Amino acid sequence: MGLAIVLALIVAPEDADQGISQRIFYIHVPIALTAYFCFGLGAWKALLLLWRGDERYDLESYVAIHQGTIFGALTLITGSIWARASWDVWWTWSSNQLVLFLVLFLFYCAYFMLRFSLEDGPRRARSSAVYALFGVVLIPVSFLAIRLAEDFIHPTVFTREGPQMTGTMFVTFCVVWAAVTLLAYVLYRVELAGKRLDADLRELREALG
Amino acid sequence: MSWSQAELVAAAYGVVFVFVLVYVAIIAAKLVRLQRETAELLELARGRKPAASERVPSLEAHEEA
Repeated sequence: MGLAIVLALIVAPEDADQGISQRIFYIHVPIALTAYFCFGLGAWKALLLLWRGDERYDLESYVAIHQGTIFGALTLITGSIWARASWDVWWTWSSNQLVLFLVLFLFYCAYFMLRFSLEDGPRRARSSAVYALFGVVLIPVSFLAIRLAEDFIHPTVFTREGPQMTGTMFVTFCVVWAAVTLLAYVLYRVELAGKRLDADLRELREALG
Repeated sequence: MSWSQAELVAAAYGVVFVFVLVYVAIIAAKLVRLQRETAELLELARGRKPAASERVPSLEAHEEA
């Protein structure tokens, strides 16, 4: 992560068009992609729960969506800061990409409201899984909105002709992306281990009376 | 309030750093709680162990009778 930050803030050349504010790209885009990945993972685990009926997938799906929501919040915050630097506004409702990501984020925020409004058990696990699966439809819509958008406010860096940046910029982007993905994976494993330990201890306490 | 571009870049990276820091702090606090609960359960289990061994001779005596 240290190497990634050094590359992003010092080594990568300054963008001729946007200047120093373009450096936000190196953290904003990998975080957004990680958020999509976490939501996708949550949906995949939800599908496994419905398919195989194994209860452990419920916790794995929940933790993945929790991670996705954290990275989603960071995407919105860093995006808002970048918007202020580039467009001189904190938010614009005219950009489909921004609005659709906000919809996706709020959809998954509502996942927690649904989950915690139900009693712990198979019914809650199944309802949460179905909801998580519905949300996955929004991921490609949100991801492709940048290309389908008519306003062209939000920049498109990755096109069919490849990444629209220099080699150093692209390497920096890949290193930061790898670092953010690794960070998300470590946080996912740690949170999952904590939640499982918590559940085991609760069971042990009940067994001991 | 006017922000310079450098300040906004620092703010973006700073927000991410603070988020990760807060997350790690929450996880650390949870681990401390789990450690405390494990110690409590261990005490409880140890307290039950002698009681269980005490019952064994009386049970044996009952069976002999």
